[in-house]
Amino acid sequence: MPTLKVIDNRALSDDTYILRTERPLASIKAGQCFSLGTSDLGINREYSMYSSAKDSYVDFMIRKVPEGRVSNKLSTLCSGDEIQLSGPYGEFCLPEDEIQTSTYLFIASGTGIAPFHSFVLSHPLLNYRIIHGVRFENETYDKEAYSRDRYVPCISQPNTRNYGQRVTDFLLKNSFATDTKVYLCGNRNMIVDAIEILRTKGFSGDSIFTEAFF
Amino acid sequence: MKIAISYPPIINALGQKAMVSQNRNVQYFKKPTYLLPVIHAQAATWLKQIGFEVVWDDGNAQLKEFQEWFEDLIKARPDIVVFESTTPVMQFYWDLIKSLKQILPQTVVIMTGYHSMRRPDETLLESPTDIVLKSNHIDFILVRVADFISKDPDWRNNLDVEGLQIRVDEESIRSTGSFVQVEPLDKSPVIARELVRWKDYAYENGNFLRTPGTYATSVLRDCMFGKCTFCRYNGPELTFSMMSVEKSLDEYEDLINNQGVREIFDDSGVWYRGREARQFAQGIIDRGLNKKGCYFGINTRFEYLDEETIKLMAEANFRFILLGFEAADDETLQRLNKGYQMEHVEKCLTWMTKYGLHPHLTIMVGYYWQSREQLDLTVRTVRDLMHRGLARTLQVTLCTPLDFTPYHLECIKENVLLAKTYSDHDMSKLIVKTPVPHDEYYAAVRSMYAISYSPKFLFRQVKFLFSWRKRDWEFLFIYGIRALRRVRQHIFNLTQNEGTTAN
Repeated sequence: MPTLKVIDNRALSDDTYILRTERPLASIKAGQCFSLGTSDLGINREYSMYSSAKDSYVDFMIRKVPEGRVSNKLSTLCSGDEIQLSGPYGEFCLPEDEIQTSTYLFIASGTGIAPFHSFVLSHPLLNYRIIHGVRFENETYDKEAYSRDRYVPCISQPNTRNYGQRVTDFLLKNSFATDTKVYLCGNRNMIVDAIEILRTKGFSGDSIFTEAFF
Repeated sequence: MKIAISYPPIINALGQKAMVSQNRNVQYFKKPTYLLPVIHAQAATWLKQIGFEVVWDDGNAQLKEFQEWFEDLIKARPDIVVFESTTPVMQFYWDLIKSLKQILPQTVVIMTGYHSMRRPDETLLESPTDIVLKSNHIDFILVRVADFISKDPDWRNNLDVEGLQIRVDEESIRSTGSFVQVEPLDKSPVIARELVRWKDYAYENGNFLRTPGTYATSVLRDCMFGKCTFCRYNGPELTFSMMSVEKSLDEYEDLINNQGVREIFDDSGVWYRGREARQFAQGIIDRGLNKKGCYFGINTRFEYLDEETIKLMAEANFRFILLGFEAADDETLQRLNKGYQMEHVEKCLTWMTKYGLHPHLTIMVGYYWQSREQLDLTVRTVRDLMHRGLARTLQVTLCTPLDFTPYHLECIKENVLLAKTYSDHDMSKLIVKTPVPHDEYYAAVRSMYAISYSPKFLFRQVKFLFSWRKRDWEFLFIYGIRALRRVRQHIFNLTQNEGTTAN
């Protein structure tokens, strides 16, 4: 398995971090994922790329999963450590010929925002809106990467007196043009619930694209 | 309304039967393995539950000759017939549907399967098929379609279930768009065993050391990796979904305690991993199902299960672990998007063997780029793994592009496809241009199967006996004899064109 060096490991919170590695030689598209592991683990896991496809490094946004061997091990890596990385894999990407003309709605839960962060950095002229479901305010990581009017955090357990809002609440309350291309990434249950709402709002299966995390 | 879910017996000129079933590459065998088509079985169960009359009509597993099967289907006069397509048998299906519609013009023919879902218009143009399903969530779609057709005589114009290509009239076809799976997999029922005549599939299956064996309702629909270029579980129309651990455990409990099943195989493209895998194994132990004389088997990937999980699975009485070992060289693994590396292979197999599991390797040869060096490396590596006892059994197939997988499309684009008709995709011969003569790949197949006869391999199996695990004794004295028969058949099937093909 190709072995590369870790460049940086930036903690975002107690359980979430950005792991930066050297860039492999392969051609990479925003939205693709890589398989990550270390030589002593004997197992690996797939993570979506968080950085721009044009960067000289590759970033991954990773949440430590309780009992998760790989996510916990990777969290301990420091600059200069070796990491095994293969890929890229997957087709959860924006078709090049549609990027200039399409309107996009990106719906994410938690670290499911990773491919959308990569889309936005890779395609600066993108016409998009991001709905990001998180539990707490401090989980809206790197929100400055998006224009303020394009990023909608849906915080289910806010610290303030505000009422919590889930992604599905926001979808129910708002209207969207049905020619919008909708990309969903993250928790499977969120994806299922969101698609059901989108269906009632007139979206067909042809304009919905999903990548479930598990 | 009566619905037949039908698998016609397809017999070639050599008198061999085609195995046509979910994600199975069609292969013709004199003594076939009968595989329960799990999603279709779930569809049958669900349709029955909501009040339809269901005919489970697997002519292969029910040991019918074609004419007998056809006459029985005509006699049954179903309102809807459901077939499952794959590339090598498309012409057969199109001809069959023409014959069927001449006799039963009112019967609605629905085509499912990986070939037609990726080329739906082709099947509607080549045959009088009425509907093509463009998703492999056949159960979820069929219940909606059947319900609609039963209520609306003008369904050709009004049916709005997503994921269909519908013949409106002789002139026109319409699409209902892409189907996106939104409902949890738990909503689809576990298979009603009596309805699908599970015992027809319980004995002739090389995956079972003990019989009667059966296939569980798959815990995963599609594949959680889903990126290997040669595999059908790859494509934007496929959406990974997972059944809950508790529901699967309930089914295992019923199969063991009430049906007397002695080996259960879950044919999900890739079974649970991580937390769910450990929860499942622990659940088997907690329910005492590991003490009931039933083995369990799964498909997995080399890098998906760690030592702790494997140890727990062994304690839960897992035995047969099927692993795709498509090649030993890095270039091929990268081109296939396979995502494992050789160090994963060694480590994973070492753990599995340490705890007494029986790893089974599925190997492929004949990629259009595969050089002599790459082929030799694969053969050498497989021999080494088998001689060291790290793998217990193997099967080798000729890599055959089919069902418009990314590998199939790549072969078309690179202009390396030699097949003249769809029937050539039957896995009996190589159908791509290769850098070395085809006979060398056939020879590689032969030499890999011959490992099972080698003194080193046999000595290793005898050594396993001294671990005093019952499964090792059963493996050598029950399975070994059965396997030898199958090995001879596999060698014949995969090398029958040796010396006859120009490249």
